[in-house]
Amino acid sequence: MQRVTSLFLLISAAALRAAPPSAPTAALPEKHRALLESHCQSCHGAEKQKGKFRVDDLPFSITDIASAERWQKVLNALNSGEMPPEEEKQPAAVQKTDFLDELTQTLVTARRALSDQHGVIALRRLNRREYKNTLHTLLGATLDVSELPADTRPGGFDTVGANLFLSSSQLEGYEALAKEALEDAFAQRTAAGGEKKLRFEAENTLAGFKKSNHEAHLNHSRAASWLKAFEQAIARPENATLVAELRKTHGSGEGLRHQWEKIPGAPHPEKYGLPNNVFLIQGFLTADEFVPYEQSYLAMPGLDTGAYLTRPFSNLGRHSNNALFLPGIPADWPPGDYTIRVRIGATPEAPPERRFIEFGVNHSVDRSPFLSTHEVTGTRDNPQILEFRHTLHSKFLKERARNLFIRERGLGIFNKSVDYFREMRRQNGVGPELALWVDWIEIEKIPTPEEATPPGIRALTGISLDPKSPPPTEEQLREALTRFATEAYRGLPPRPESLARLVQIHRDRLQLGATPREALRDTLAVLLTSPRFLYRTEPEPQEAHRPLTPLELASRLSYFLWGAPPDPALRAVADSGQLANPEVLRSETERLLADRRSEEFLDGFLSQWLSLERLDFFQFNPKRFPRFDANTKAAARAEVLETFGHLLREKAPVTDLLKSDYVVVNGLLASYYGLEGVQGDTFRKVALPPNSARGGLLGMAAILAMGSNGERSNPVERGAWVLRKLLNDPPPPAPANVPEINRLATRVLTTRERLQAHQESPQCASCHRKIDPIGFGLENFDAAGQWRTEDSYTALDAAGKPDPKAKKTWAIEPAAALYKGPAFSSYHEMRDLIAARKEAFARGLTAALLEYALGRPCGFSDEPLRESIVAHSSQRGFAAREFLHALIQSQAFQTK
Amino acid sequence: MHNALPRRRFLQTSTALIALPFLESLGFRRFASATTAPVPHPKRLLFIGFGWGVTEESWYPKQSEKGPGYTLSAGLAPLERHKAEFSIVQGLANRYTTNGHYGSTFWLTGANEFGEPGQSFHNGISVDQIAAAHLGKDVRFDSLCLDCGAAASKSGHGPGLSLSWDSRGKPIGGPTHPVEAFHRLFAKDSTPLDQQKAMFAQRRSILDHAMEEARDLQRTLGKTDNAKLDEYFQGIRDMETRLSRDEKWLGIPRPEAPLHEPQPGLAGYEEIKLMYDIMVAALQTDSTRVLTYRLPVSSLLTSLNVTMDSHTMSHYHQPRAEALEVSQKRDLSQSELLAHLLDQLNAAKQPDGSSLLDHTTVVYGSNIRTGHSLDNCPTLIAGRGAGFQLGHNLVLPKDTPLCNAWLTLLRGSGVEVERHGDSTGILPALLA
Repeated sequence: MQRVTSLFLLISAAALRAAPPSAPTAALPEKHRALLESHCQSCHGAEKQKGKFRVDDLPFSITDIASAERWQKVLNALNSGEMPPEEEKQPAAVQKTDFLDELTQTLVTARRALSDQHGVIALRRLNRREYKNTLHTLLGATLDVSELPADTRPGGFDTVGANLFLSSSQLEGYEALAKEALEDAFAQRTAAGGEKKLRFEAENTLAGFKKSNHEAHLNHSRAASWLKAFEQAIARPENATLVAELRKTHGSGEGLRHQWEKIPGAPHPEKYGLPNNVFLIQGFLTADEFVPYEQSYLAMPGLDTGAYLTRPFSNLGRHSNNALFLPGIPADWPPGDYTIRVRIGATPEAPPERRFIEFGVNHSVDRSPFLSTHEVTGTRDNPQILEFRHTLHSKFLKERARNLFIRERGLGIFNKSVDYFREMRRQNGVGPELALWVDWIEIEKIPTPEEATPPGIRALTGISLDPKSPPPTEEQLREALTRFATEAYRGLPPRPESLARLVQIHRDRLQLGATPREALRDTLAVLLTSPRFLYRTEPEPQEAHRPLTPLELASRLSYFLWGAPPDPALRAVADSGQLANPEVLRSETERLLADRRSEEFLDGFLSQWLSLERLDFFQFNPKRFPRFDANTKAAARAEVLETFGHLLREKAPVTDLLKSDYVVVNGLLASYYGLEGVQGDTFRKVALPPNSARGGLLGMAAILAMGSNGERSNPVERGAWVLRKLLNDPPPPAPANVPEINRLATRVLTTRERLQAHQESPQCASCHRKIDPIGFGLENFDAAGQWRTEDSYTALDAAGKPDPKAKKTWAIEPAAALYKGPAFSSYHEMRDLIAARKEAFARGLTAALLEYALGRPCGFSDEPLRESIVAHSSQRGFAAREFLHALIQSQAFQTK
Repeated sequence: MHNALPRRRFLQTSTALIALPFLESLGFRRFASATTAPVPHPKRLLFIGFGWGVTEESWYPKQSEKGPGYTLSAGLAPLERHKAEFSIVQGLANRYTTNGHYGSTFWLTGANEFGEPGQSFHNGISVDQIAAAHLGKDVRFDSLCLDCGAAASKSGHGPGLSLSWDSRGKPIGGPTHPVEAFHRLFAKDSTPLDQQKAMFAQRRSILDHAMEEARDLQRTLGKTDNAKLDEYFQGIRDMETRLSRDEKWLGIPRPEAPLHEPQPGLAGYEEIKLMYDIMVAALQTDSTRVLTYRLPVSSLLTSLNVTMDSHTMSHYHQPRAEALEVSQKRDLSQSELLAHLLDQLNAAKQPDGSSLLDHTTVVYGSNIRTGHSLDNCPTLIAGRGAGFQLGHNLVLPKDTPLCNAWLTLLRGSGVEVERHGDSTGILPALLA
């Protein structure tokens, strides 16, 4: 192993373990003994032990799990109000609140102290993200890994070794996915070289448009004639009794028409050239709704060279469906990366919110999610070419995922689309303006240059994948397997015994009739389920804290910043022995951060640190928040990541996350925030007007929306989030089985009045006196993160329905005071108070980074490291990058 | 529906010395010789979990109406025709479960998520797997753990690959769609026996290789790392155990399917119905005696033309009023489907004239009651397999351990174990 020159090695391994900083003692202050003595011990003391539980011998200093669990029992009994029993004397509210507060904090401290890993990192399996990225790096295959168990847990990171489990089901999953990735890679390799390109001219849809409209007209008149005959039949006097009887169960409208066969004289639909299906006939009957819309379509300019995106109505008996579904990627095109280009422009009539398209695969009229949203900045007279990338997965080849689509924004919700159509038709007699004109759509396979061949495939050089070729010689196979394994094991060659067994497995497969290609695939899949691939090993039999080898350090670095294995350049630096040189390590860190793959760090770290998964917990009511649709939500989520990316790139301070005079947004989000002059899909820094509520996490739509249930803002969720993520003062986890405050649902109260309930009982007040005031300070933002000055509530009636008579509207009153801290009169003042607590924020961020990077929880023994990172960064103006540098340069990062 | 015992199967029994599916043979013997003491029917267990809980206001019968004379609640109305065949049990809870989004993770285990210091997650064996170890010795699959694929993560089940967790608290996966379940149970393998044997040998050598790789690595690692690597060893050993079991059944064809091969692409209501039919078929052919199934609650809603997502629905107390309607619609559909399952179990007659439901216990419930509430876990127990009191509204003291109910179920099904999870004893009140 190379001798490493960095400073820390001067400290011996023994010194590393010597004198760890002592954890603070988790001790409950003595003053609380009085409460136990006067309220608990008569039943749970030395003499009497009701429920076999005594409190008189509980140690006030908690040093082991057993006593922690006994105290937890005390806490639970008090929290639930179970103890002291109702008929007994109750402690004074203030006394009980303080007792609960301190006991809760003591238990949180005890849990942290007892779970301190003292620097030991348990063997880390590749988590689900890393596994996917690793196979992508190795083979160029993009897999759908959703069938593997998710490794994320609320409140933790998916990089923590102790929490990454493995089971036989999962091993089977790995084997299947490895085979799939190899198939994918083989297919890409056999298809490599040839350029594939297809252009779809939009004007070709015109004939189909006319034809389906023509059919719709025919069907409409046939359906109308059938209905007329049907109505004549039910009007016959001799049918009166029967019809009256049928109406009792089936009603008079469509329900009755379904019963036509029972009514003498009602004609068979087929006689009118209709299908024998009343549902379809009903659809045909409504088709005349679209006649003016069609006529206006056909009068539009530009139909000879392009087409307009229309609203989809296929459910309504109409197939004038110009949502432009692409013809699809031809069946013989291989999986891999494709470029999609759309030449498109908006019409002069298009309102700003309709200048967006959604792109996706496998379209159905309703419910199909899209993959990306794109803003259209070109015009019909001066179109633009939108370009984006699409990865075709091999798994979906057999399914319908070759069919791509673009459609106008917001058409995924069918009812909303139909409602909008009808509303516009009511207003203008036609329907929504045609907003987007498309010239053509192009799909192109990005040719893979030879040097971009993934390392795992390059390792197989010399082995033919042609089904007709003979199998490789043993020598060829041995060499290829050695190269492949070295790549898969992140630089470590396979052991000879291991190689011999793999060669044997390959031979066996051939013997059993597998083709050479299948035999190779299966053998490599075995290699990819080896523990040497699935675990990032840092061997050390003696459990000592030793410096990492250069290859191990390279892996730690690349998995931290890319969630992927080292690239050849990083491996080369490691091989040269220079990686642990602080300057070299710093420049490699810079290089990795500048690479596009560092987006994985942004997503992996930020979405877990800030608990962004909550954004998907609730659907937003489209009626109340029409603008906060799936597109805006996706952009709002991206804003959080893009902002942090901006801080890293521009060496800007992380305290900009508390307050800043700019935002990092794209066109869609800028318009959501009411900022003008920002267009296009690219996120960029945009200056804010003075006194803007935006700027910093507290003003971000994603963060505010997470503190809601899709309907109403949730001050408790928001306040707790701020304490946890910004102020480094996490409240203890909420006790289970606390009823939502729905017992107040029938009362007409403001949000603040409602939350007053938390102050009624000591067990609630002990945490909520800290949480709720911050939530009140954010009440100027509605559930979807828009500024508001008033709010209203409609109480529910006994049946659980909103009662319009019981409605209350009030002006938002954000004034409150931080617990044991200063008062504020507005959101802006509160934001300033929070922004002033830079150190606390930096400490919280550091702990999260430490856990994410090192793969173990940040314990009390990490305090010195944490302090040194905060100090280092604070001297450099809290620049985001410096946190990463300080951490990567630390001894802990470079030590097993 | 029923196929007569194939002659081939008898032939194979005598030569292959393998304990064969013996349900029908037993019944046959019972008739053939009245003098021999009848061998009891094997016990079967079905566990069905539905993640997000129920609408508490309309699903539970009134607690004041204890016993057999209770009025069926609106949410259970579709089960009216089976009222005498099931009981509702109220008051049960898992004391350690604290996560309001984990409706299935600890439901059958009762484990403490934070029971292992230094780990963010810990689980124990689920009750079905204890039963499987005892009841599943003589059948092709000791258990079959069915799941619902991508819908699972949106259906309030929490972490896991099915309802089932193995003896080390690791998740067990299984078929995620009726088509897959059908193939697992009834697929015919036309490969010649010799070749099948060779394939098994090859599979074994692959597992041996994985074992060797892990041993190699083990020598270079310290204690903490090896404790983690142990999961790999266990995983491989579990695969070997399964392989040995499959090997014992080599050459014994899978039974004829008592239903048609399902169409792919079904989702939600029809998918659940079909999965229920397959579960009954699995019992009928004695392919397994223990099944678990996590219901695709989210795609059930989609198939009912509901566009609201299932989590939003589960908080019907808070958001908009239509969430309550959706929640109740969900309860009704689930009850309808369960009624269908009980119909099928009743209809599956055994050679002695009894029905499958006479020998089966169906457990239907969730760890979540409603919203984030984890007490009075909804529990419905049907079938005469474990000697339970049926037709009652059984109201137990608040926070009676769910694991006590599971222990009672195990004992009633002839599985003699001391305890399960945090059980403190059996619940005589549940027994007839």
